[in-house]
Amino acid sequence: MIRKNTLAILVLASFAFLKPALAAPVEQPETVCIQCHGTLPDRLGAPVNLWRGSIHADNGISCNGCHGGDPKDAANAMTPQRGFLGAPKEKDIPAFCGRCHPGVYKDYLSSAHGRALGAGGPTCVTCHSNHQVVKASLALINEKSCTRCHSFDRARAIRDAMQQTEGYIDNISRRIADFQVSGVDTEKMAKSLFSVRNRFHTLFHDVDVARVKGESAAINKELGKLDAALKEIERSHEKRRVAGGIAVGFMVLLAVLFHLMKKSYD
Amino acid sequence: MLKRLYRWLDLRIGVGEIVEKELTGYLLPRNINEWYSLGSVLLVIFALQVITGMLLMIYYVPDADKAFKSVTFIMNEVPYGWLIRLCHAVGSNMMVAVLILHMLSTLLMGSYKAPRELNWVTGFTLLALVQGISLTGYLAPWSQLSFWATTVATNSASAVPVVGPYLVEFLRGGKLVGPPTLGRFFALHAAVLPVVIAAVIGAHLFLLKRTGISAPPFGREGTANPFEAQQYHYQGHPGGIPFFPNYVLQDLTSISIYFAVFLAVVFFWPGMPFTPDAFVPADPFKTPAHIKPEWYFLANYQTLKIFPSELLGLSVQAAAMTFLALLPFIDRSPERHPLKRPVFLTLVIAGILLWIALSVWGHLS
Repeated sequence: MIRKNTLAILVLASFAFLKPALAAPVEQPETVCIQCHGTLPDRLGAPVNLWRGSIHADNGISCNGCHGGDPKDAANAMTPQRGFLGAPKEKDIPAFCGRCHPGVYKDYLSSAHGRALGAGGPTCVTCHSNHQVVKASLALINEKSCTRCHSFDRARAIRDAMQQTEGYIDNISRRIADFQVSGVDTEKMAKSLFSVRNRFHTLFHDVDVARVKGESAAINKELGKLDAALKEIERSHEKRRVAGGIAVGFMVLLAVLFHLMKKSYD
Repeated sequence: MLKRLYRWLDLRIGVGEIVEKELTGYLLPRNINEWYSLGSVLLVIFALQVITGMLLMIYYVPDADKAFKSVTFIMNEVPYGWLIRLCHAVGSNMMVAVLILHMLSTLLMGSYKAPRELNWVTGFTLLALVQGISLTGYLAPWSQLSFWATTVATNSASAVPVVGPYLVEFLRGGKLVGPPTLGRFFALHAAVLPVVIAAVIGAHLFLLKRTGISAPPFGREGTANPFEAQQYHYQGHPGGIPFFPNYVLQDLTSISIYFAVFLAVVFFWPGMPFTPDAFVPADPFKTPAHIKPEWYFLANYQTLKIFPSELLGLSVQAAAMTFLALLPFIDRSPERHPLKRPVFLTLVIAGILLWIALSVWGHLS
């Protein structure tokens, strides 16, 4: 047994020298919340597993990020003295989430959804779920979710108006990124896209069809300007490639010519 | 008209004599092959690097605050600036690649052997200098790629015992890569190294002219009078082919092929010399995920990583480089045909495979 261990240590020790090549990414240490709740059954343990599949977990936001408390001290983790907040009541949920998402909170409050808060209207977790928090995307506007409270017609109209714009933004964003890594000065375009995208995101919690449609149209117009600028760069790059093709062809021709001339001297 | 000008010049400075001696009367071995033209290709590449470098200097600002912006300006605003910069960046990679081919052909045809040891040593010096000028030029755009590649490269000097840390500080002009590093690297890149390289090229060509060109150990029957190390003599090739026009046409063929490949890369694969980090301004507080040196340093980089200590890795590299540099003094047999030197051939192939394997490993790890 001891020999086996010695051998293992020797083998591992030799690996230690290779460390720089094999170094693994450092994982975040688990908080005491997860250590304890992760092993608990039912209501007390379930949130941990839900959280693991959330956008919060992906971005390194752990339990204490929302619920407060001390993630390093198991004994006092859940005392109010250490800032523990517990779970919010339903009508307090938007303010709870709004601590980190103030812009969305404001947009939500001014929308029909927000105005119905406390009167059966949806809160953040109605669509994004709690613990297994889902990233904001148009997929959240779907028949199954929306028809829990009302018909899907209005929501569909909103989604359709936004879907086109979102696709447009994705397309332009990808093209700007491609140009950026080939040395094109995309700074101004990227800034402009950034502000357009922010403007677009304020629509996500608006449920006024006319406003969403109008804003989307205005945003599409802005995007059209970027699209035209990108097309101009694409055209000039295409011209470069044609010129390059001609230059390469000319050089191949010269090579053949010189080779034949040389042959004639042999 | 041309003829009259020629006659006028000939009467005054004896052009005809020079043409006779250096071009039409300069005879090369009858079995000379295409590989011998790589030297001319390298001369053209060097000239192009100097010209494009000078053009870049018109707009480039070697100041840490302005360097990145000035390069962006060259790439986007200056007419044909993108072309000049891409030619310079692609050219540096191609120069190393062609240089390696040139050295490999010298190795396999045994041209480094007596009396051409000094040709090899100067050529080897040129390899080191070209690597140096590539490394110093890498910092110039002051991008994330520049900054971190230089940080890693200069850091390897810290493995030198005793003076290591001082050496790193001397190279960087401070504890970390920063504006002073850019200043000294730029001076080396644009003023010191080009002059030194030009001088060593001069010495390399002078030696070539003094010893005479080597005949390949295969192909058509040779023309060389064998070398005997009793006293200096020029190894001529009576009955060989004239440099002009015969071999000049071979040089031109190779140069045209080179340009076809070079321009194809410049126009159709412009991202070749860059990674995405090359287009992000240097940020000392943000380390990119994957710092890798240029392809020709990948093997060195991997060697440093696989040895338990950097000093050992550095020593192994130094030993390998010294061995290669002194090869003509170690390998003294006069036999030059690669197939009649099986041990040597095996070593060369093993060496190349090892280099490729280390480079691929370095690239993937």
